[in-house]
Amino acid sequence: MYNILVVDDDKEIANAIEIYLSREGYNIIKAYDGEEAIKKVNENEIHLIILDIMMPKKDGLQTLEEIRKSKTIPVIMLSAKSEDYDKISGLDLGADDYITKPFNPLELIARVKSNIRRYVDFGNITPKKNENVLKSGDLSIDDESKKVVVDGKEIKLTATEYNILKFLLKNKGKVFSISQIYENVWNEESYGAENIIAVHIRHIREKIEINPKEPKYLKVMWGIGYKIEDIK
Amino acid sequence: MEKLRESTLTKMLCYILIPIMGVILIASILNIVLFTENGSNIKPEEYIETESFSNEYLSSIYTYTRTIKNAKRTNPDNEPYYYTEINDNSYEGKVYYRSINYDDYSISRFINYIIIDESTGNLYTNIKTSDYNLEIQEMANEPIYWTYENDTINTNIENLNQENAKYIISTYYSSNALEGFKIYTNLNPEDISYSNSFYIQKTIYNLFERHQNYPAYLIPITSILIVAMIIYLIWAIGHEKGKEGISLNGIDKFSFEVLTFFVVMVVGIMCSGFVAGVNYNMPQELLIPIMSICYIIAYASTALYITTIIKRIKAKEFWHTFTTYRIYRWIKNQLNKTFRDDKHNKIKTSRKIIILYVLFIIASIILAGVGSFIAVILLLALWFWTLYKLLEYNKKMNKIQTALQDIYEGKSDVHLNEEELTGVLKSMAKYINDIAGGFSNAIEQSLKSERLKTELITNVSHDIKTPLTSIINYVDLLKKEDINNATIEQYIAILDKKSQRLKKLIEDLVEASKVSSGNVKLNLETINLKELINQAIGEFEDKFKEKGLKIDLDVTNEDVKIQADNRYMYRIIDNLFSNISKYAMENTRVYINLQKTQKEIKLEIKNISATRLNISAEELMQRFVRGDKSRYTEGSGLGLSIAESLTEIQGGTFKISIDGDLFKVILRWNME
Repeated sequence: MYNILVVDDDKEIANAIEIYLSREGYNIIKAYDGEEAIKKVNENEIHLIILDIMMPKKDGLQTLEEIRKSKTIPVIMLSAKSEDYDKISGLDLGADDYITKPFNPLELIARVKSNIRRYVDFGNITPKKNENVLKSGDLSIDDESKKVVVDGKEIKLTATEYNILKFLLKNKGKVFSISQIYENVWNEESYGAENIIAVHIRHIREKIEINPKEPKYLKVMWGIGYKIEDIK
Repeated sequence: MEKLRESTLTKMLCYILIPIMGVILIASILNIVLFTENGSNIKPEEYIETESFSNEYLSSIYTYTRTIKNAKRTNPDNEPYYYTEINDNSYEGKVYYRSINYDDYSISRFINYIIIDESTGNLYTNIKTSDYNLEIQEMANEPIYWTYENDTINTNIENLNQENAKYIISTYYSSNALEGFKIYTNLNPEDISYSNSFYIQKTIYNLFERHQNYPAYLIPITSILIVAMIIYLIWAIGHEKGKEGISLNGIDKFSFEVLTFFVVMVVGIMCSGFVAGVNYNMPQELLIPIMSICYIIAYASTALYITTIIKRIKAKEFWHTFTTYRIYRWIKNQLNKTFRDDKHNKIKTSRKIIILYVLFIIASIILAGVGSFIAVILLLALWFWTLYKLLEYNKKMNKIQTALQDIYEGKSDVHLNEEELTGVLKSMAKYINDIAGGFSNAIEQSLKSERLKTELITNVSHDIKTPLTSIINYVDLLKKEDINNATIEQYIAILDKKSQRLKKLIEDLVEASKVSSGNVKLNLETINLKELINQAIGEFEDKFKEKGLKIDLDVTNEDVKIQADNRYMYRIIDNLFSNISKYAMENTRVYINLQKTQKEIKLEIKNISATRLNISAEELMQRFVRGDKSRYTEGSGLGLSIAESLTEIQGGTFKISIDGDLFKVILRWNME
């Protein structure tokens, strides 16, 4: 039973989040402004905070700053602002994730789950040292068992998808064009197969990313190629 | 009062009365002066005693001597005009004789004289006699005589005795006027009555004789009357019956100078006629009528002249009737026309230029005229200095022209240093700076207002997003409830669809406003359009397949490199492809053609519209417009607009064409 603190001055939104997350088996504590949130964090054992940015008394960013002074619990920022600038300032202050309003409930649940898993399940476990394991953040491939795990959850990939992902993960941080990927994975000259690769990569994204349009691991550099983000 | 003012008759009367009154006034004054002195009538003997006579007598003598002197002055051998040498044995020296001019009615004609020039011993006379020595001795025997000998005057004319004559001579002529002469003169009193001066005196006396009973009070009466009439005329002149203001006739508009000239000439002629009549050879019976006519004409001219002056002054036209003024105004107008640049100070400038130019020419002429070495050096210096100034001026003008060109080309940071410039150039620079300032201000303002608009849209959309979140979430929750009612489920489905669309609409709206106001930061890098197209096709593969759309891709073999922001570039293609997936007719082909030439990169995407495109390409580009006017399908209608703006901010052009059901988008990037 994990405790999730939902902070939003809009009670209906807080309630809706409560309904969704309760169904997933989380215990929800609600707060309607920043000060209340800080109080609740100090009073309860909280495993994750969903924090709205625009709030009375103390806004989400100030609250986050305050909480971060003492806690390392994951914080998902929630805001109607979708500007890059807002996202960056949230993440800079120590937020772990960011969801813009109006959000897709499924995405919210997925992000909550992912963050909880990372914090609670993995946080303390040191992964097996295996030379066959390729890893970026919470995405890992065990080349021995051909297992792909994201945020502790196993993902099923086709053989082609697996090969592409393995190639990219092996060279994480580097960008490859479609033909480079083709040549490296298939070991042959690419001709006319470009958009097949693109389709495969989309499929991979759909499987490993919470929101394939805003991928965390498999980034699309439009007009340049693809890469696996190198996350610590 | 007005009637009196406008009455022509009264005015005419005044014009006629004034000279008459004038004559009476003068006569009255003379009457008093003369009659208190001389009694009632005048006889030649009495006339002799008047100053008029004595002055004329002495003046005549002076004239004789002067004539002789003047002749000698240029050449001692010259003899005076009108004199002829005669043979005479009675006198030891030469004798010159001047015959009498019978047309002359002045006193001088009637005087008999013998003048001896002591320096030459020559004798000048108007008498013919056998013995001049005897004649000289007998001169004093006449009733009226005057002799001058060894600085001694002998006479029986009291006004011209030694003391008086000396005084007159030294006062009116020169003290040594008679030196070097022996002068013997006499006059027959009977002759005096033939002289004009006597005749006039006599006429006047006769004239006044008739009025001598009432002279004294005529002076104030006539004076007052004249003054009154003059005042009346000044007041009334120019006012005519039935006419407003001052009526001017032809004479009043006539050139003042020419008029003055004529009047002065006429009056001058009349006066000299008057004077000449008195002094010289006018027959006595003609004298009075002619003098009267002269008087009348002179008076009429003067009256006319003064009248027109008064009229002109009253009509405030006085200066305007001067020909000089007209010429001045004409020249001014011509200059204005020539240099008419405007209302401010350009005339002044032209004047300044003309003055400087004239000074330049004068200086040049003077220096060239002096012609010395230094002057030539100065002249050359002046010329070079002028050239230098002109070049300097030209340089400044060029600066101003450059600044203007910059403004014309849309640069907003134009600034001229006003301190460097002077006069007109300075004010020009000031105006240019103001305009430039105004421009950059306007640009700033418009950017600011665009930014504010974007900010407003962003803020409003934030406010909308919060309640929308609740709507979407609760609709979603409703969807998950076990309702078992087909109608409600259907309603919920509609709510779900519409709330999702609202979400999309708001997101697109924010983006469109940001992009169209240029309020985006571009992160430029080299991207390969070919790669991007392939990636995008990969992204849309499912959606196209769903509709049975086949991609016909025609791309060059080489990479198509372009400087762009990869996310925004994808957004363009994303919008276009998503439109195709929404609006293309099922089971048709979509043609994608990417070409690269030396000049440009061209991306052409063609598809067949599912519905009839009943609007023009231009309309389609407008925000919020979609191919079907019904707005039935999903989408915000902002897709094309966003794509266009994004293409443009990345240096491309975005063109749509519609040919029947064929929908075509052409993107071009100029590579030069």
